[in-house]
Amino acid sequence: MLVGIASGSIGPFILLRRMALVGDALSHVALPGIALALIYGIDPFYGVIVFLIAAAFLVFWLEARSRVPPDAIVGLLFTASLAIGILMLPSADVIESLFGAFPVLSVPFLVLILCTAAILAGLCFLLARRFLFRIVSPDLAKVEGVGRAYDLALLLIFAMIVALGIKLVGTLLMGALTIIPASIAKNLSRSMRRYIITSAVLGGAISVAGVWLAGAFRLLPGPAIVLLGIALFLVSLPVVRRRAA
Amino acid sequence: MANENVLTVENLAVTLDGAPILRDVSFTLREGEALAVIGPNGAGKTVLFRALLELLPHEGMVRWRPGVKRGYVPQRFSVDRSAPITAMEFFLLKSTRFWRPSAQFIEHLDHELGAVGLTREVLKKNLGELSGGETQRLLIAWALLQHPEVLLLDEPTAGVDTGFEDSIYALLHRVQMERGTTLLLISHDLNVVYRYAQRVLCVNRTVVCQGTPVETLNQDALAALYGESGYYRHEHEAGH
Repeated sequence: MLVGIASGSIGPFILLRRMALVGDALSHVALPGIALALIYGIDPFYGVIVFLIAAAFLVFWLEARSRVPPDAIVGLLFTASLAIGILMLPSADVIESLFGAFPVLSVPFLVLILCTAAILAGLCFLLARRFLFRIVSPDLAKVEGVGRAYDLALLLIFAMIVALGIKLVGTLLMGALTIIPASIAKNLSRSMRRYIITSAVLGGAISVAGVWLAGAFRLLPGPAIVLLGIALFLVSLPVVRRRAA
Repeated sequence: MANENVLTVENLAVTLDGAPILRDVSFTLREGEALAVIGPNGAGKTVLFRALLELLPHEGMVRWRPGVKRGYVPQRFSVDRSAPITAMEFFLLKSTRFWRPSAQFIEHLDHELGAVGLTREVLKKNLGELSGGETQRLLIAWALLQHPEVLLLDEPTAGVDTGFEDSIYALLHRVQMERGTTLLLISHDLNVVYRYAQRVLCVNRTVVCQGTPVETLNQDALAALYGESGYYRHEHEAGH
């Protein structure tokens, strides 16, 4: 649930920056990380973290060079990493890496993940003003002393959240876990503060409900969470239409 | 303290994508004055502002008085219309308490909104729903919020009706007089320049002329600035 809340908290910023697909691509980068870690017998989680943080820096660097359309490069690079990752992974682990599984975790590791998720979600709320400032107007933000460093901070937090979420829903669907709560909440909110809170709550609720559904019907948790979220999104659509009318 | 320079610019040059936009720009901004920047479209006025605010890479020297508080009203400001950001939250970007603003902040905000002729009602609106005039007033109130010592305004009345234009300039003039705020503004309207600016800086890729409006803005200078000079000279040459 904490992972869901963390995903929900960062989602609005990713969505408003029109980086939804960058996020999706980012989660694919984790795959070669998982593969390498498995090959060398390390916990895949560390492989994921290293690769994602490197990818976050790469996206940040690409963003600064607006001469090249970054989405094209990001797309190419990250599908490439998906392909490489699949080839490198032992086939038994492919499904689990792509779509997630009920993680079997030692207690200290579980505590570590929970704490990290809580800290990351907290950071999203703490830095919300600065992240939003960079979205509303990078120029005004810079004049007021909120520089590009916060863009990097946003990407790094996002990368860490993706790394946590991959445990739960897998690399293919992790992008969705950040985008779905934020998309639903956007339909329901009229102010940014409400938006972030709603998205965080939804992220937590969808994750818990999805895991419960998966357990009850013997499904993979990743697809269960994502499909539940999309169903909720469809339900939320009439609300936005009524408001626009 | 009077007439101390708030900003000193020497030999400023800006090159974007290998194309020179501005060169040899030198001027000073004195405390408490209103300096109007005029020039034709594409002359590099907005680029000049962005370079002064370190938003663009540049050569030459731009020296602000240390610690000076600046407010900036950009020419173009657009927010994703679907983004659920209220006008209130736009102001809260400047507050240290985004989630729970202080009563003092709200009070101060009310005061600035009143100054630009807006009511509290506007705070509930979504940023994307505001009209052009409301957005412009909001931006000015936003820039005024923490009482900047220098206000940089990039065509603050672009795209709004004439009546509103007068009231905005009257407001800016009052701010200049009452708070001693230094104004640096880009304007197309020479009437505004004559009426409210103590000095004028004519820019067309470089500084074409500068001084008091009455002394500086003679027929020749304007012709040179707005490019009719080529046309006149051409006529002369044809006559020879």
